[in-house]
Amino acid sequence: MRGVRGRLALTALASVLMAAGPAAAQLGNTGDVESTTADLERAAGDTGGAEGDPWEGFNRKIFAMNLFVDDNLFVPAAKAYRFVTPKPARKGLSNFLANAASPKTLVNDILQGKPKRAAETTGRFIINSTIGFLGLTDGAATLGIPGHTEDFGQTLAVWGVGSGPYVYLPFFGPSSVRDGFGSAVDIAFDPLIYIDTNPASLARYSRAGATALALREPLIEPLDDIRSKSLDYYASMRSFYMQARKREIADGVTNYEDLPDIGEYEEFDEIE
Amino acid sequence: MMNELHSLTRRAALGVSAALAFALAFSSPARADQAAEDFMSGILDEANIVFEAQDEQTRLDGIETLVNKYVDMKRVAMWVLGQYARQITDAQKEEYFPLFRRYATLVYQEALSDYSGQRLEIVNSVDRSPRDIIINTRFSNLRPNDQYADVTVHWRVYRDGDGEMSIFDAGANGVWLAIEQQSQFKSVIANNGGGTAGIDALIADLKAKLAG
Repeated sequence: MRGVRGRLALTALASVLMAAGPAAAQLGNTGDVESTTADLERAAGDTGGAEGDPWEGFNRKIFAMNLFVDDNLFVPAAKAYRFVTPKPARKGLSNFLANAASPKTLVNDILQGKPKRAAETTGRFIINSTIGFLGLTDGAATLGIPGHTEDFGQTLAVWGVGSGPYVYLPFFGPSSVRDGFGSAVDIAFDPLIYIDTNPASLARYSRAGATALALREPLIEPLDDIRSKSLDYYASMRSFYMQARKREIADGVTNYEDLPDIGEYEEFDEIE
Repeated sequence: MMNELHSLTRRAALGVSAALAFALAFSSPARADQAAEDFMSGILDEANIVFEAQDEQTRLDGIETLVNKYVDMKRVAMWVLGQYARQITDAQKEEYFPLFRRYATLVYQEALSDYSGQRLEIVNSVDRSPRDIIINTRFSNLRPNDQYADVTVHWRVYRDGDGEMSIFDAGANGVWLAIEQQSQFKSVIANNGGGTAGIDALIADLKAKLAG
């Protein structure tokens, strides 16, 4: 029963995201770059949203809700986890979860037509699942095969799908229409969500909880720092996410052509 | 008249260099800018000494000195305002510049003081244009599996019309400080009515942040 509800929630999420898709596509239905830009600017202007974030008003509401959950649930839990678990064990759990996510990465390596990275993922999974003590250590990295992750959002990007507007998802945090849809597809690839037994549900929820803790724990201080320095925490996180995501999709290669130009205001040269 | 002439020649020079950059971009991969690398290398020599300091306050002071010396803070301050740079009044500038300097210095201190005991060395450079050069650096003295093993620290060097170089921005693994600041500042200004009213709100926010 719980499995069915989980799937329903997933379907709901996917349909919300897909419903958003055509709306975004409509903006560009004339196929003319100038009018598309004008449309996007108008869409951005309507809600006071920034570039790439026409739904800023709505996103900020979700952001505030997530912050509340984060402050009251995830951060205390992550602190407790840090307190009771020694560092090597935390590293072990995070290795284990990363190894368990290998099949997802492998599927997307293949879908992106990257045989070398697919072979690396396969090799790492085999090495770490065996001599790596079921994934608790990352022996493959020591052997010189560093890990990487892929997801379906990145696959869509490689296939040429634009990111669409920025979306701040409940619990999941920053995303885009494309990447949110990608996450839903990745979840659909996960065998565990189709097994409707109590042990499978337990495994599913434990993994979700463990993943949340393992991801949040090392970010306690960095996010605190960003928040304390930010004039606008929402805009900071949006910028960090958009910048980092671009590089992740390019497999760690930074594209310097895309950077905004420095000299758009020539009079800056008069600044002493 | 002289000014107009100066500006005209500069524009012509810019046009020529833009055309050159265009031609270069299609004929060969971006060529390393040796002068810019040398400029950055000199700064890193000083920075690496600062990173060696055991005492945090010594590191923070050292970073502040370097930021004052090499970062073109007024240019960054104007740039992070985005389109609102055209609307800031002279009175607002007078209040905003020193506040921004303090704020951006804090951000640099926060970003760099973690690198205690590390050494940064130049890996390569990429010319976005003859006046806009990215220098990539990495840590050279790491243990295997070090948390900084996969970190590339980028520096954006700007060469002004007179050929003077300064640091415009710094980033790590594709995430840049000034770009993030621009995103925040534009957001604060836009959400407070835009224009000079929005800039007033930004100045108030900066004051509050620096006081708190």
